[in-house]
Amino acid sequence: MDIDPILSYIGTLLVAGWTGLLDYLAAHVLLCLLPAFFIAGALTALVPKEAVTKYLGPRAPKFVSYPAAAVGGFVLAVCSCTILPLFAGIWKRGAGLGPAITFLFVGPAVNILAIAYTGAAIGMDIALARIVLSIIFGIGIGLIMAAMFGGEAVVGDESLARMGAGEARVRPAIWVFFGLLVALLIAGTLQVEVLTESWLTVTLPVNVPAGLVAMLEGLNLTVQGALLIGLLALIGIASWLGLEHVAEGLNGWTGVTLALVAGTLLVAAPRLDTAGSITVEFTGRFVVVAVLLTALGLVAVRGLERHEVQEWLWETWRFVKQIFPLLLMGVFGAGVFKVIIPPEWIQALAGENTLFANFVGVVFGVFMYFPTLVEVPIARMFLDLGMARGPLLAYLLADPELSLQSILVTHKIMGGKRNVAYVGLVAVFSTLAGWLFGLALAVT
Amino acid sequence: MIEIKVLGTGCPRCKRVEQVARDAMAAAGVDATIIKVTDMGEIMAYPILGTPGLVINGEVVSSGRIPAVSEVTTWIMNALASD
Repeated sequence: MDIDPILSYIGTLLVAGWTGLLDYLAAHVLLCLLPAFFIAGALTALVPKEAVTKYLGPRAPKFVSYPAAAVGGFVLAVCSCTILPLFAGIWKRGAGLGPAITFLFVGPAVNILAIAYTGAAIGMDIALARIVLSIIFGIGIGLIMAAMFGGEAVVGDESLARMGAGEARVRPAIWVFFGLLVALLIAGTLQVEVLTESWLTVTLPVNVPAGLVAMLEGLNLTVQGALLIGLLALIGIASWLGLEHVAEGLNGWTGVTLALVAGTLLVAAPRLDTAGSITVEFTGRFVVVAVLLTALGLVAVRGLERHEVQEWLWETWRFVKQIFPLLLMGVFGAGVFKVIIPPEWIQALAGENTLFANFVGVVFGVFMYFPTLVEVPIARMFLDLGMARGPLLAYLLADPELSLQSILVTHKIMGGKRNVAYVGLVAVFSTLAGWLFGLALAVT
Repeated sequence: MIEIKVLGTGCPRCKRVEQVARDAMAAAGVDATIIKVTDMGEIMAYPILGTPGLVINGEVVSSGRIPAVSEVTTWIMNALASD
């Protein structure tokens, strides 16, 4: 039997996966994901739940509790293990079924990591649409469920408002810290002239050996790309040493890890050209990132307490461990499947913005379960295979919302009838959201 | 005797709370049983907002966050004093 064609096909698949990985590890994605993980860690560690839940008491008026639930979905719920118990808590002890459902819907949809990654890998239009439509429809679904099933809290007491009312304030220093982190995320990814134009171009009197450049090109890598991957590997090692036990104390390796992260952002920010001697274009982005990193360092040292920094780093590292390895595999897999799946299938099913195509997107999302964030490279793969942007949004909304596992837990919490209603409403609204988005794109 | 319950479905944060509880017990010089409640139905029977939750002698002392070892030590001492 001639196995050469099989081997060469497997080779093609592996190359496809590798290329997918490289796109993912490209500078602009790193510049968004690295800060996003730190933001996720900060949201979990530094924002006390009471700051939001005090607006979700049983006597809160609707125009307060629904928006608060949506904000809560964004701020409080980065991890699915947090969302489900909180959902149950808000329903049974607080504002009732409506706001709880809103929270349940908005939480996975507006996950900061997913939004940042969607923006960098697919486009800001979809990322923004994801946020806006999730909030609107989240409130809508909540109101409908409350109307269908009656929204009163099961335990109509003030225990929610009472609980930990003292910790409900968020200190100014923390607001500033968040502002800087978000600014860093935006500065790293925004494509605006101020950031992309070079303020200073330096030519280093060093040549990268032509052989090295050629070898890297053979692997589809630029010198900057290779540098970044190397730095990422170093961050991984340093993090194991410096962040794994950061809850117990900061050590030297913690500092090394943070320095490496800052360094990676600074290496990703400028433009590097290696034809001949090395030319480094220090773009506006580089300057802004450098300034923000310095400011962040200052605020962390002077405005945050030591245990807060430790909590922040512990939560950040927890997310990285939980998400990043699976994400790498998902990206590789998406690269492979892009070569295997015939584009004609995708285009036939979802190539145009019809209601049916959007529904197909939702069905994909519900039945194909992917770990957090992996839905983004899969969506990118669908996009490259020809899926229209409307159905793509429908998929991106439905996938994190509904998985077999989460449906089982929500069934346990709210019972069969409500659960079926919820799943149905999510499917309908995701389809509508995607379709409307597609229409809006066609008009603008 | 103190009874400590950790409410949580088993994610890293819940494990952290269990570790904090153990450290606090050691700091307080107390030996206690730690019971892990992982069933969602049982968890929601307690008046908590979100997991992880910490219950000492039947009273919810913390919910939805990871308390510091010093806090838990204080709570354990209080529970001992009121025994």
